[in-house]
Amino acid sequence: MNAIEVKNLRRVFTTNVGRFRRESKEVVAVDDVSFSVPDGELFGLLGPNGAGKTTTVKMLTTLLIPSAGTAHVAGKNIVDEADQIRPRIGFIFGGERGLYWRLSAIDNLRYFASLYHVEPDVSAKRIPYLLEMVGLADRGKEKVEGYSRGMKQRLHIARSLIHDPDILFLDEPTIGLDPVGARGLRQVVRNLQDEKKTILLTTHYMFEADMLCQRIAVIDKGNIVAMDTPEELKKLVLDLSVIEVEMFGVSDDLISTLRSQNYVDNVSVENREQRQVLMVQTERGSEAIPDLMTLFDGIRVGKVTSREPTLEDAYVRLVGGEA
Amino acid sequence: MNLSKLSAHWRTVRISFEMQLRQNFSDPFIIFAIIVQPMIIATLALWMLQDQVDQFAIFVIVGSGMTGLWSSLLFISGNAITGERWVGTLEGLVASPTPMPVIVLGKNLANVFQSLSSMLASYALVALLFGLSIEIQQPLLFAVSILFAMLAFVTFGLIMASLFIINPAVQNWQNGLEFPVYILGGFLFPIALLPGWTTPLSYLLAPYWAARALQAASVGAGTVEEMSLNWGMMLLFSLIYVVVSRSLFLFVLRKARVDATLGMQ
Amino acid sequence: MLKTARMNLRLFYDGAMLSYMALFRWLQPMTYLASMVFAPLTYMLFFVFLGRFATGEDNASFYVIGNSIQMAASSGIYGVTMSITGDRWDGTLPYLFGAPANRLVIFVGRAFMHVINGYISVLLGFFWGITLLGLDLSQTNIGAMALTILVTSISTAGLGLLLGCLSLMTRNVMFVNNTVFFMLLLFSGANIDITTFPAWMQSISYALPLTRAIVAAREIVAGANLAQVANLLGTELLYGAIYIVLGYSLFTWFEKQAKQRGTLEAV
Repeated sequence: MNAIEVKNLRRVFTTNVGRFRRESKEVVAVDDVSFSVPDGELFGLLGPNGAGKTTTVKMLTTLLIPSAGTAHVAGKNIVDEADQIRPRIGFIFGGERGLYWRLSAIDNLRYFASLYHVEPDVSAKRIPYLLEMVGLADRGKEKVEGYSRGMKQRLHIARSLIHDPDILFLDEPTIGLDPVGARGLRQVVRNLQDEKKTILLTTHYMFEADMLCQRIAVIDKGNIVAMDTPEELKKLVLDLSVIEVEMFGVSDDLISTLRSQNYVDNVSVENREQRQVLMVQTERGSEAIPDLMTLFDGIRVGKVTSREPTLEDAYVRLVGGEA
Repeated sequence: MNLSKLSAHWRTVRISFEMQLRQNFSDPFIIFAIIVQPMIIATLALWMLQDQVDQFAIFVIVGSGMTGLWSSLLFISGNAITGERWVGTLEGLVASPTPMPVIVLGKNLANVFQSLSSMLASYALVALLFGLSIEIQQPLLFAVSILFAMLAFVTFGLIMASLFIINPAVQNWQNGLEFPVYILGGFLFPIALLPGWTTPLSYLLAPYWAARALQAASVGAGTVEEMSLNWGMMLLFSLIYVVVSRSLFLFVLRKARVDATLGMQ
Repeated sequence: MLKTARMNLRLFYDGAMLSYMALFRWLQPMTYLASMVFAPLTYMLFFVFLGRFATGEDNASFYVIGNSIQMAASSGIYGVTMSITGDRWDGTLPYLFGAPANRLVIFVGRAFMHVINGYISVLLGFFWGITLLGLDLSQTNIGAMALTILVTSISTAGLGLLLGCLSLMTRNVMFVNNTVFFMLLLFSGANIDITTFPAWMQSISYALPLTRAIVAAREIVAGANLAQVANLLGTELLYGAIYIVLGYSLFTWFEKQAKQRGTLEAV
C-alpha cells in the first residue's frame, strides 16, 4: 500500500490587499500536484521558495484543507479522516517557533508525549533516548529560550519522533544547522529509513536530496515539473557533462578530429597560464574518456577531469528556465 | 470513548495543567492580572467602604477574588488558543491526536487554580493592612461553592478560547468586557443598585451565581434554597458551556484549516 | 536661527504625525470605539456605582468628576508609552538615534496626538456623566474646566513619556503600565478623599499627575472660578513638565548607554 497518495491536490489562498478599499487577490500556492510514496520510501520534494512544498506538506499533515483534489496518508483521507492520520505521522516545520520557550526540552517532550498518548513508562525511556540521538542530552533541563537555532531544530526532530510514527514529514530539516549538525541530522534520517519509516523530505539543498532520496519530485509554481530517481533526473542534463583535458598545445587537426566524433557535442579550448585546457562536451560523460585517450595517442596529456552533471544542474534546468 | 483513551486524556489535562502553571509563573503580565490588580481593587474598595469596613471586609475579599478570576478567564483563558498561535505551537497541537478542548481544559484549570490564590492574597492583605480578623460563617458551603465556581469558570473558559480565535476583532473588546462583569456580577456592590432592566443580564452570567453563592456562605446567609439555586445555576451553565464548546471547537478548528490561520497571521 | 526653528517645527510635526500613525495603526473605528469609548465608560460606571454604595447617592458627583478626569490616564499612559516603545518593536530606534535631529522635539512630538486624545477622553467622561449619571454642571465655569482638562492631558502625557522611557529598558512594558494605571486609580483621589490617607500615602498622591486636577475640577463644578484654582493647575502643569524633563534625561541616558554597550536592538 502507498503510505502517501496524492491526486490533483490544489490549494488557493485569498489575501486582502489595500488599506481602504480591500480587494481580494487569489494566490495559487499548489496548482495540480499528484504523486505516490510507497511504504518505506524516502521521497524528496525539491523546489524554490514559494513553489508550494510547505503548503503541500501542511495539507498532508492535516493542517490545511485543500481547495481541490484528494490525498490519503496511511490509507486515510486527509480531510475527513484526519483524526486517524494524526497518531501515525510526525512532522517538523522547524525554525525558531513551535516550541514552548518557557519550558525545558524535557518538559516539551513530556507534553507532546502526553498529547500523542504515549504511555508514561514508554516516554520515560524514549525521551532520554531521543535527546541523546539529537545531541541534546546534557542540556535537556534548560529552558528552550536559551537554545541556539540549531538546538531548537534538533529538539523539533526529537519532538516529531516522540510517538514513533511510521510516516515522517520533514520540511527543510537541515536549514539553519551548521555543517556538523546537518551531517548528524542526515545520518539520523538514514537511520530512520533503515527502520523502514516512510519519509517525505523537502529541501532546497541539492546534494542533500541527491544523497538521501530514493525518488525526487521537482515542484515549481505549484506544479510538479519532474519526478524520478536522482540518477534519471541527472540524465536530463547529460549534455552538460564536460571532460576537461589539460594539454600542452592543441592543434586544429585535433579539434576537427574530435568534432567529427559522433559522441562529441562540442569542443572548446581554454588557455590557462602555460597550458591549454580542452573541453569536450559529450553526453557519454566520463565513459568517453578511454575513446578520447586513443585519439590523444602521442600527445602529452596532463590532468583529465570529467565534470558530471549534478542534480543542481538538472534542477536549474527544470525550474530556472536556462537554456 | 474507551477507558484507556479517557485515562490518556486525563493525563493530558494534568500535564497541560502543569505546563501552564509553569509558564504562568514566569509571565509578569499574568502575575499582574491574577494578583496585583485584584489587590489594588480590594484596597480601593476597602478604603471606599472604610466606614463600614467591619461589615464588608469579607465581601470585598470575595469580590476582589472574583475580579481576579474573571480577569484571568478573560485575558488568559481567552487567549488559550490565540496564545499558542502567537508562539507558533498551535499547529503542533492541532495535528496531535488529542482534541483541543482537552488541552484547553487543562490550561483553564491552571488559570483558575492560580487566580483563586489571589483570593488568598487579598485575604492576607486585608488582615495585615487593615488589621481585621475575617471569618467565613459557613465554611463548608463556601468550599463547595468554590468547587462549583471553578467548574463554571473552567468550562466558560472553553467558550472564550474558541470565540477569541473565531474573530480577531473580539480581542479589541477584551478590555471593555472586564468591568461590566464586575458590575453585573455584583462582585463589589449588590446588583440591586443597578437599573432593573439589567437584572436578567446578571442572571445570564455564571460569575454572578458564583459570587452570590460565595458571598452568601461567607456571611452566613446560605439557606438550602439559596445555595441550591446558586449551585444549580452554576451546574446548568457548566453543562451548557461544555455542550456548546464542543461544536464551537470543531467549527473553529475546521475553519482555521480552511482559512490557513493555524500558523501566524 | 529661523532655519533651525523651521527644522524643529518640521521635526515636531513629523513626530506628531508618527504618533498619530502609531495611534491609528491599531485604531480602526472599531478598536477606537472599544478601547477609547466603551472601556473607559465601564470603568466609570463601576466606580461610580461602587462609590454610591460606599458613601451614598448624594456623593455621586464626587465620583463622576473624579473618574472623568481620570480618563486622561489611559491615553497618557498606554498611548504615549506604546508610541515610544513602538520604536523598539519596529526596530527603528537605531535609525532614530543615528539621526542628527533634535531629540527633545521628537520626543515631545510623539506625545502630541495623545494629549489631544486624552482631552477627548475626558470630554467623553463628562458626556457620560451628564447623560447617564446625572452630573450637574450648572455652576461650572466652562473656560476654567476646559483649561483644567488641557492641563491634565499634558501632565498625564508627561508621565507617559517618563514611563515610556522606563519601558525601553525593561521587557515588561505592560506590567509597568498596568501597575501605574491602577495605582493612579488608587492614589489620584478619583474615588477616595485623599485627605483621609495617612501622610505617606498623601505624598505619593501629590507626586502623581491627576490629583490636583481632580481637586480643581471638583471645585470648579461647585462654582469656583479660574483664579481660585490657578494655583492647583499651575502645580499640576509643573509636575507635568518635571515628568517630561525626567523622561527626556532618561531617554538621552538610554541612548548613550545603548550606544556604549551596543544594545540598541536588544529587546
